[in-house]
Amino acid sequence: MSDPDVSLRVENVTKRFGEFTAVDDLSFEVRRGRVFGFLGPNGAGKTTTIRMIVGITAPDEGRIELFGRQMGPELQDHIGYLPEERGLYKKLKIVDQLKYFAALKNVPAVEAERRIDFWMDRMKLSEWKSKKTTDLSKGMQQKIQFISTVLHDPDLLILDEPFSGLDPVNVEFMIDVLSEFKTQDKTIIFSTHLMETAERLCNDILLINRSQKVVAGSLREVKQSFGKNLIALRATGGNGVLEDNEMIARVIEHADEKEIQLRDGADPQKLLHALVSSGATVTKFELIEPSLNDIFIEQVGGGAR
Amino acid sequence: MRKFLAVVKHEYKKVVLKWSFLIGTLMLPFLAACFAVVPAIIFSIKGEPTRIAVIDPTGKITPRLKQNLSVDKLAAKARKAAEDSLKNFDASHQEDMKQTAAQFGETFEFVDYPFEASNVEALRREMSSMITAGELDAYLIVPQDISAPDAAFEFRSRKAGDFVMRETFEDALNDAVRSQRLADANISEETLDQLSAKVNVDVKGVDMRGEEKDSDGVMAASFIIGLMIYITLAIYGQQIMGAVVEEKETRIAEILFSSARPFELMMGKLVGVGLAGLTQLAIWLATAVVLIGVMATQPGFVDLIGDSLPTITPLMIVYFLIYFLLGFFIYASIFALIGSMVTNVQEGGQFAFPPIMLLLIAFYFSFAVIRDPGSTLSFWVSIAPFFAPITMPIRILAETPPFWQIALSILINGLAIAGLIWLASRVYRIGMLMYGKRATVPEVWKWIRMK
Repeated sequence: MSDPDVSLRVENVTKRFGEFTAVDDLSFEVRRGRVFGFLGPNGAGKTTTIRMIVGITAPDEGRIELFGRQMGPELQDHIGYLPEERGLYKKLKIVDQLKYFAALKNVPAVEAERRIDFWMDRMKLSEWKSKKTTDLSKGMQQKIQFISTVLHDPDLLILDEPFSGLDPVNVEFMIDVLSEFKTQDKTIIFSTHLMETAERLCNDILLINRSQKVVAGSLREVKQSFGKNLIALRATGGNGVLEDNEMIARVIEHADEKEIQLRDGADPQKLLHALVSSGATVTKFELIEPSLNDIFIEQVGGGAR
Repeated sequence: MRKFLAVVKHEYKKVVLKWSFLIGTLMLPFLAACFAVVPAIIFSIKGEPTRIAVIDPTGKITPRLKQNLSVDKLAAKARKAAEDSLKNFDASHQEDMKQTAAQFGETFEFVDYPFEASNVEALRREMSSMITAGELDAYLIVPQDISAPDAAFEFRSRKAGDFVMRETFEDALNDAVRSQRLADANISEETLDQLSAKVNVDVKGVDMRGEEKDSDGVMAASFIIGLMIYITLAIYGQQIMGAVVEEKETRIAEILFSSARPFELMMGKLVGVGLAGLTQLAIWLATAVVLIGVMATQPGFVDLIGDSLPTITPLMIVYFLIYFLLGFFIYASIFALIGSMVTNVQEGGQFAFPPIMLLLIAFYFSFAVIRDPGSTLSFWVSIAPFFAPITMPIRILAETPPFWQIALSILINGLAIAGLIWLASRVYRIGMLMYGKRATVPEVWKWIRMK
């Protein structure tokens, strides 16, 4: 009945705290095997939404479906959640903490130990297994927290600001680890303020602001819909095509290429087709897209205050 | 259920594998031993002999005083005192007494001091200056007429604060003067002893079933049991609070809540820590049973102590454990509730005051119960929630009430636990995710009503 390609479906979800509406009639879908960027400024309702998805709180209205089933405690074992505000037991050995977190996700003890060894090795932290949290640097603690979210091999991974507090080398390292995980046909929801990282990692994005959805779709679609219809072109010949005023608003000449602004609704594919069929040799034909950062600032910055 | 058990195991291990648990478990028996042994050791340390001069115009008191302060006499006196309080007394104890007495007895050294009776004032000054000079430690001036009702003996000592020395001396002096007065009145001491022998009052309680019951020792045992329950409840309650606050403060709660139901997590914590407390109690009880068992094999012990020990039946032990658990769950759920309201351990410490106060009140009520276990007050406080976990075990020990009262008390406290756990879990599931500031009472009330 449900679409097997959809991991998570959020339908008309609303959450209020007294007078304040933290999430207002929010709907979206997260497709299986994709990295889904869940973006928005502070206080937009991201954490509240995530808490409802992982079953910490329940929505006041609407419905959350995970793998085609209504979200409930028994589905929590399929989710790995790395909250933005996170910590570890201060005086407990790392390996004991990880065992406990695994047990809470119903991982059998023997299997848990195997996976703890695997991940500690992968994170290059094996010699820290028997140390206590207070002996570890912040970056190491971050990695331990990440391990705790993947020990039960979740189908859906929800990471809230996973790279905060990591140095650039470790950010790259973690991105590598994440991409390994992604190839296993797992779904990742990734919440962040870092638009460059989101742009690098995400297939789909959802931008919310003030409790409501602002922009949603695949990264490509979103960028295109916010594109200013600019094309960078390097070609020999085909000058006649560029004089088509129905399609082209303006042509700006640069030293070695042209910047072409299309009219609203004009299809760049048609232009390319026309150029090629006119016999022009196209060496560069690039849609110049706005960065996710630009979109974020335009959508949120304008609306804020 | 598996997750619940995982939480129980985690919390249990967290408490039991800590050094403080091991130390606490060993510490109590050790402290008890210390309380018994250390004072004896301290008092047996030999003091410097007290050099004393006696100004005795009558010339009759000094020889008697010297005799009374002799080692043999002191030992005999101590033995007599011990025999009065304990019915049976064996040879080894007599030996101990004699040694102790010898140590005390030697502490007096009589200094001969020639004097003229006429000028007491000058004597006083002279001896005071000797004391200041360190040539003398004390002096005694015996009045001219020892039979006069207002006759005052002047005892001046550099070491007036040494109460052991003072009491020994006063007793010896009293005896000396009394014997002298008797001699003056032509009454022999033996006659007087016979006439003034104490009446032997046989004190025994009669319990509800009309059976005679020895009440010696019941008070002490009740007090110890009450104190033990009070201390364990306070310690394990705060243990719970600490664990709750840690998970809130470090934000681990958010990870936990995404893995298991808050109710499972809270109950797991209560049960895990409760089992740890039970473990400790079991170790203490077992130690006590073994110790008493070992001592009971010693000849003489049963005759000496056996009578005054309250009878503790296995059923009583079962009741104690039940009441420990009742008390634990009552106070632990209150502490868990407080833990999820506050933002850090220090704040929690301030708010731990109300439950600690309740525990203290219960502990104070236990004195009323010890004095009169059958009174109306004892009935109510041993049924009331919050108080029963301390007062009922004491009542059971002092004078086991009818079964229906125990059943009613367990039922009422069980209901109180159900209510408190419900409240605590309502507050816990919301409070654990509220960071930043301490919750106010109206806020907590809102959380409780939230769906």
